[in-house]
Amino acid sequence: MTGAALAERAGRLLDDAASVFRGHERAEAWLRRHRERLAEPLRLAVTGPPGAGRSTVVSALIGEDVAPVVVAGAPGAPVWFHDGPRPLARVIRPAAPPWSAPMQRATPGHVVAGPAEDWAGDEDWAGAEISQVVVEWPCRALRHTRLLDAGSLETDDADATLYVTRHLGDDDLATLQRAHLGRATGALPVHLMVVLSRADEAAGGRPDALLAARRIARRRRKEPQVAALCQDVLALSAQTALAGRSLREPEFATVAALAALPRADADAALLSTDRFTGADLPVPVQQRADLLRRLGLGGVRLATTLVRTGSRNRAALAAQLVRQSGLTELQASVGDLFTARRDVLKARTALIGLDQLLRAESRPQAAYLAAELDRLVAGAHEFREVRLLAALRTGRVTLPAELAVQARRLAGGEGAAHAERLGLPAETPPEQLWPVAAEAAGRWHEQTRAASTAAGRRAAEVVLRSCTAILNDLG
Amino acid sequence: MQRWEAGPTAYAGPTSPVRPGRTELGALSATAAPASLWLDVLDATIRTCQEHGRTDLVAWLWQRRAQLLHPHLRVLVVGAAGQGKSQLINALINAPVCVVGEGRGTTVPTVVRHTEAPTAHLIVRASPEAAWTPDAGPQEHIPLALDRLADALTETVAIQPATMAGRLHADVGVPRALLATGLQLIDTPPLPGLPTAAPAAVARLRELATDSRADLVLFACEAGRELSDAEVTVLADLARLFPSLVVAYTKTDYAAHWRRGLEASRMRLVQAGVPATVVPLSATLRARAVQTGDAALNGESGFPALIGLLEATVAAKPDGLARATVGVLGRTVTERLAVVLRDDLDAQRAESETSHAVKRLHDTQRRLDELRRCTTRWQTRLSDEVADLMSDIEHDLRERTRAVIARADETFTDSDPLRVWDEFEQWLREALLEVAQTSLNWLGDRAEWLARAVAAEFPPELGDVLPTWVPGVQNDPNDRVTELESPQVERFTMTQKLFTGLRGSYGGVLMVGLVTSLTGMSLINPISLSGGALFGGKSIREEGKSLLRRRQAAARATVRQHVDEIFVGLAKDTKDSVRRIQRALRDHFTAVTEDLQEAIIESLRSAKADAEREAAVREGQARRTEQELIRLAGLQKQALALMPGPG
Repeated sequence: MTGAALAERAGRLLDDAASVFRGHERAEAWLRRHRERLAEPLRLAVTGPPGAGRSTVVSALIGEDVAPVVVAGAPGAPVWFHDGPRPLARVIRPAAPPWSAPMQRATPGHVVAGPAEDWAGDEDWAGAEISQVVVEWPCRALRHTRLLDAGSLETDDADATLYVTRHLGDDDLATLQRAHLGRATGALPVHLMVVLSRADEAAGGRPDALLAARRIARRRRKEPQVAALCQDVLALSAQTALAGRSLREPEFATVAALAALPRADADAALLSTDRFTGADLPVPVQQRADLLRRLGLGGVRLATTLVRTGSRNRAALAAQLVRQSGLTELQASVGDLFTARRDVLKARTALIGLDQLLRAESRPQAAYLAAELDRLVAGAHEFREVRLLAALRTGRVTLPAELAVQARRLAGGEGAAHAERLGLPAETPPEQLWPVAAEAAGRWHEQTRAASTAAGRRAAEVVLRSCTAILNDLG
Repeated sequence: MQRWEAGPTAYAGPTSPVRPGRTELGALSATAAPASLWLDVLDATIRTCQEHGRTDLVAWLWQRRAQLLHPHLRVLVVGAAGQGKSQLINALINAPVCVVGEGRGTTVPTVVRHTEAPTAHLIVRASPEAAWTPDAGPQEHIPLALDRLADALTETVAIQPATMAGRLHADVGVPRALLATGLQLIDTPPLPGLPTAAPAAVARLRELATDSRADLVLFACEAGRELSDAEVTVLADLARLFPSLVVAYTKTDYAAHWRRGLEASRMRLVQAGVPATVVPLSATLRARAVQTGDAALNGESGFPALIGLLEATVAAKPDGLARATVGVLGRTVTERLAVVLRDDLDAQRAESETSHAVKRLHDTQRRLDELRRCTTRWQTRLSDEVADLMSDIEHDLRERTRAVIARADETFTDSDPLRVWDEFEQWLREALLEVAQTSLNWLGDRAEWLARAVAAEFPPELGDVLPTWVPGVQNDPNDRVTELESPQVERFTMTQKLFTGLRGSYGGVLMVGLVTSLTGMSLINPISLSGGALFGGKSIREEGKSLLRRRQAAARATVRQHVDEIFVGLAKDTKDSVRRIQRALRDHFTAVTEDLQEAIIESLRSAKADAEREAAVREGQARRTEQELIRLAGLQKQALALMPGPG
């Protein structure tokens, strides 16, 4: 069974539920919404404690300085970012028609003008009325993934979550623990990824801060209590990434001018922000201040080092900044574990939603639905596959290189079709697939005993199950 | 009862040089006060706590007292995660003594102090509450490798059992001139919840401050943001325990517009009324400056200002800091004691509304009113019932006698009184006796019922108020039912019969004789004689009948009269009895009422006395509490006078 099949079965279950709850207004609307969402792009929430740099992460993912979008007079409302033909904000209020407005640029992000004439005189207007803001922004990255910038983790609107925090302390772990939903394999944290933000500030903002941050992330993602709560932990300097994705020529010129200075002068100027903006340098003060605002001190240090070590033009520096910032790694991880697994995550959201509905509302026929739901969740091998992919990615499971590649492929890391899983051309006929699958099953059966670590043996069991699933399908 | 209430209010102010009798202000303004004035105030505070039975405060104050007398200045460095606390200490003494970087963070508190040669130990205390100072009982020392201190510490902590987590701290000694003055720095793990939520951090910090025996708290907050609400709350709580706080505004080298954040933070502290000094610092610049020997850079790092502040505090500890600390402690402790007293006072006021004695007083008054109402009620009831009874009894008696008369009339319509009299007289006597007996029995029953009915008017909580004895009917009905003499009736004697016969026969003889004489027969002939005999017999029969009717009428009249007489007599007897009953019941219930009233009035009197006594006691308590509050206010004023004035 592939992710698509899982999503289809979840959809059928939602249809069944809709017929059971016919006439129940709230449940019907709710089921319809979940049914529609199955076909929509992935909904990725970016959450985290205030000050962790959520909005910068959103902007970095979009590639432009878009977030935060604040409705004047109502800060803190959750903001969705959809792909759209032109920049536009729709303010959605409960029991009121949505209200569209253009966005004005602000530093940073955008401001949506508050209620003008049509809300004028409304004394109760305090912003609490806004349920959410939907921003349409022309961006290719948003075509397959919608982003949500929200402070709270307790949102059932998202299929997957990036939890942005600076240190991932005990408080954060407790928050993640509380946000767990679902039953059986549905409770596996396949939808969560932790982003250690503001990585450029690690290790006192030295030029190797990002490396240090990446080392920290690598260590944290293997910690058992962290691994049990999320798929991956990644370090990201969102500010550097955003600057890299939207680097302008004049900014490159300023960096280049700084890099051209004698090393001692440049280093002395880069000791502190005061020195950087106050030092007597050939680069104009205003340009320096702008650069500092865009890149941060760590970013400026990194950029000058990069220019000195070979990034001789804007494009090269931009690419290097994006790579160094950790954004490339984050995008790869999100692509691999979230976007490519869209069906699984969508199905998971639908199943959890249905589970909640069945617990809240009791109907005689609902018992059958609950049994069906339990059966589906208990049999959903996809969640385990996704966990295995994450474990392979993060190095929580170490297998010999060749086996690791194969495990990733068999678990659907390269594509969910049987041929793709078996590493054969797409048009291979089923009778040729069978022996390959049988051989793989045999090998992994052996691995369930032969692997050197307990984690490896458990991984082998998951791969074996994937193999037998292919054999079942073919036979 | 609190201990300070036990005896005459003991003087709890300073014993020297402030003497009772002089006003506190006058005493305190005496400039000749020696440095140990704060010690006197602190001792007075401790004594007051003792009198209030607050052993917890006493122990804590004793500990602070010992701390203040100690020459060392222990500086606790606290803050949220990743605020550069460890960096700050490392930069301050220019030695990598605290764990920094790589996201490891500080896991156990580290005490950094001066020693001639570098040392490092992980210390396992005997209990989580034990003090961190070396003189606090048995401790286990685990030496740490000096050249790789951070790794050694992390590894050693990792192999300790998890249950030991609360009992560990590291102790690092380094030879530094700055520390040689008695300064000790304590690095701590991040406070939980900050910078978003305060409660957990407040609790943890109180524990830390007590266990570490801190004299000064350095709160780290990184530049690039301002102090959060939660952090200001934590600092406000700290300000109740420490006279002066230092907020280290760290990482100023990295944040672009840190001066804005610094000003905002200062403003927030001022608004919250927290006396804290905010010092902008950059550990990175300091480290660099120390490496390169760049004095200008060192100045930019802000550390000289911090060092100056710390040195001044160390020097001022025996006097300035101690005085200020005692001032803050005195204020906090007296406030805490006063809260208890005020609650006491409020509770007493609330209690005066609901005390037992007052309740009893109200209760008794209510009972008295109830009794008064009851008296009227039962009297009315008694007279009503008696009137009813009288009419009922009379009516009943009349009905019964009427039935007897009817029976007698019937008897004498059919039979000759002469013949049945004796038998009748016997019956009449018995019938009347029965009537009288029944009526009297009924009267007895009714009297008993009446007594119950009246008794029911009394409230049930008074118990049984029924009279033990109800006067019955004393007159014997036999006395009233007298014998009835046979009425004087005309008897039809033989002579009368003869005369009547003769009179009747005379007419007959004459009538028949005259008719027969026409036939030539003599007037007296056998036919006229037989006619006479016929007429005579008829006259005798008619005369006998009319005599019988007369006799019957006479007998009926006699019986009726007799029965009437007896009825009157009986009626009088029953009425007398009812009146006697009424009188007896009235006397009985009046006596009961009087007894009750007397008892209630007695209890009212005692309840009143109790309530008054209680009010007096409460008044006295309240006055004592108020006096104690005033005394606390005096103590607080003394404590506050120790603190340096504004500016």
